[in-house]
Amino acid sequence: MTTAHNAVITATGLTKQYGRQAALNGVNFTINSGRIVGLIGPNGSGKTTTLKAILGLTPFEGNLSVLGRDPRTERELLMNDVCFIADVAILPKWLKVKDAIDFVAGVHPRFDRARAEHYIAQTKLTPDMKVKAMSKGMVVQLHLALVMAIDARLLVLDEPTLGLDILYRKQFYQNLLEDYFDDDKTIVITTHQIEEVEHILTDLMFIEDGRIVLAASMDQVGERFTEVMVEPQYVAAATALNPLSRRTVFGKAIMLFDGADRTQLATFGELRTPSVADLFVATMKGQPQ
Amino acid sequence: MKTMQWLIKRELWEHKGMLCWAPAVVAAAISALALLATFVNQNISYNGAMVTPQNIIVTIEGETRTRIVDTLAHNYVAAAMPVYMVLGFLVFFYCLGALHDERRDRSILFWKSLPVSDTTTVLSKALMALVVSPLIVIGIGLAMSLLLLLAAGVKVALHGTNLFGELLVTPELYLAPLRVLALVPVYFVWALPTVGWLLMVSSMARSKVFLWAVGIPVGAGLLLLWAQKALGFDINAGWVISHVFNRLLLGVIPGSWLSFGSLAAAPDIAPAAGLVAFIFEQSWASLAQPAAWLGALAGMAMLAVAVKMRRRREEG
Repeated sequence: MTTAHNAVITATGLTKQYGRQAALNGVNFTINSGRIVGLIGPNGSGKTTTLKAILGLTPFEGNLSVLGRDPRTERELLMNDVCFIADVAILPKWLKVKDAIDFVAGVHPRFDRARAEHYIAQTKLTPDMKVKAMSKGMVVQLHLALVMAIDARLLVLDEPTLGLDILYRKQFYQNLLEDYFDDDKTIVITTHQIEEVEHILTDLMFIEDGRIVLAASMDQVGERFTEVMVEPQYVAAATALNPLSRRTVFGKAIMLFDGADRTQLATFGELRTPSVADLFVATMKGQPQ
Repeated sequence: MKTMQWLIKRELWEHKGMLCWAPAVVAAAISALALLATFVNQNISYNGAMVTPQNIIVTIEGETRTRIVDTLAHNYVAAAMPVYMVLGFLVFFYCLGALHDERRDRSILFWKSLPVSDTTTVLSKALMALVVSPLIVIGIGLAMSLLLLLAAGVKVALHGTNLFGELLVTPELYLAPLRVLALVPVYFVWALPTVGWLLMVSSMARSKVFLWAVGIPVGAGLLLLWAQKALGFDINAGWVISHVFNRLLLGVIPGSWLSFGSLAAAPDIAPAAGLVAFIFEQSWASLAQPAAWLGALAGMAMLAVAVKMRRRREEG
């Protein structure tokens, strides 16, 4: 298979204007099959707009192909293979657990009822429970159970675990990785809880002010970026190498370098792979305003 | 087709209270009142002595008997008229909320994550208003009519005249419910412009759907009247109001077609015995007016706009 064939999402010159404000400014990116991509950016960076464009929920300019289809014109067909949780707590109040399962089973050709019931069994949800009577976390659990039972080729998760407690969050990502994900599937996640997803991501995309500022696989990130706990005597020398960012922890300077020579850096102090969160903060600060 | 069934079920889950329970409660209340009035003792004073009606034995025979049976068999379904009137309110408010509520609680994002087109969704809501709700209300109305007919029969039997035998062999007894059911297609055509308008407003308005839906036609009507009367414009405001604005708002009332155009004068000549049969004939005759079909076309065009709005509108 060629790479082009492998691409699940291809965006070229993706642009979206809200009045005179540009939410997306000629964005280009490609997401391949079998990847788990973290789309990370501050509020108002164009993250949600990108997801909406992919899901055909908003008009836009430029070219965007999702599973070989144009989300603007072929949305209904696309939804057979794409699933999303666009936001938390959007299930209607009157919906019962068993009705929700019946309904999705009725309209979705790729829904596996047994699977949904299996996930529901792991929660405190009962078939006759209405969304109205559920806690915020339970609504999310129901929604996730429905979505995880759909054998979609592309799953888009926008802040999927907001409102869930830590136990269920861990459980969810574990289920996602073990039961759901395989080489034919692609997952795009946005979240503010970067620490919780970084170990399952295969790719990173940083977005700021409607532009992609970093798009790389986790392996590439590991090769490119290095964090050094600089010993006090080497601070001046390290600063001369123009670090991306610098912070101080317990009196020690920690500097983040992009593409610097590791053997040289090793002389300054202990080397570490930066966390995605630190990388994110550094990248955002590093952008010219 | 399977998707449509699920969408209709979905609407029933959401609106069970309004579309099923409300008419059922109205029917139950009316039945209770009617039964109370029929069976509770009312003492009658006769020549100074109190006589309880239970003691009166009346035997009705001959032509009077035939006429009573005939009238009952023909018109017992009309007893549920108040229930049928409730349908107008139900459909009106159902349509106002149909495409607005899902946007207000943002559940539209969930519905849109499933492979169901906007066209199918809007159609399911229109069908709910034009076919399913009328069928539910007719079902409840007919059950209530039968109950009241039974009560009337029992009451008369208690006084010595058993009409059940003759009633059961009167063909009208069975034809009358069919005539009521046969009004559903007529309702479909005449309610379409109102349902289209309400669903369109429901898909467009950010809030205050009722104000938009009612305010625009009423405001425009008043403006026209004012232009005609105060400014002396050569327009027939009354015609425009009855042919356009009324039909945007009042089409969901069952029987609205009977007071439209050439039929408006008809009720004066309605025969008392065959009221239901008369309504049935007049209703189907109303479809001969081009206005009925022009309105239906306009309704479909507005539904198309509602589909477009649901597709293009951005949420969140």
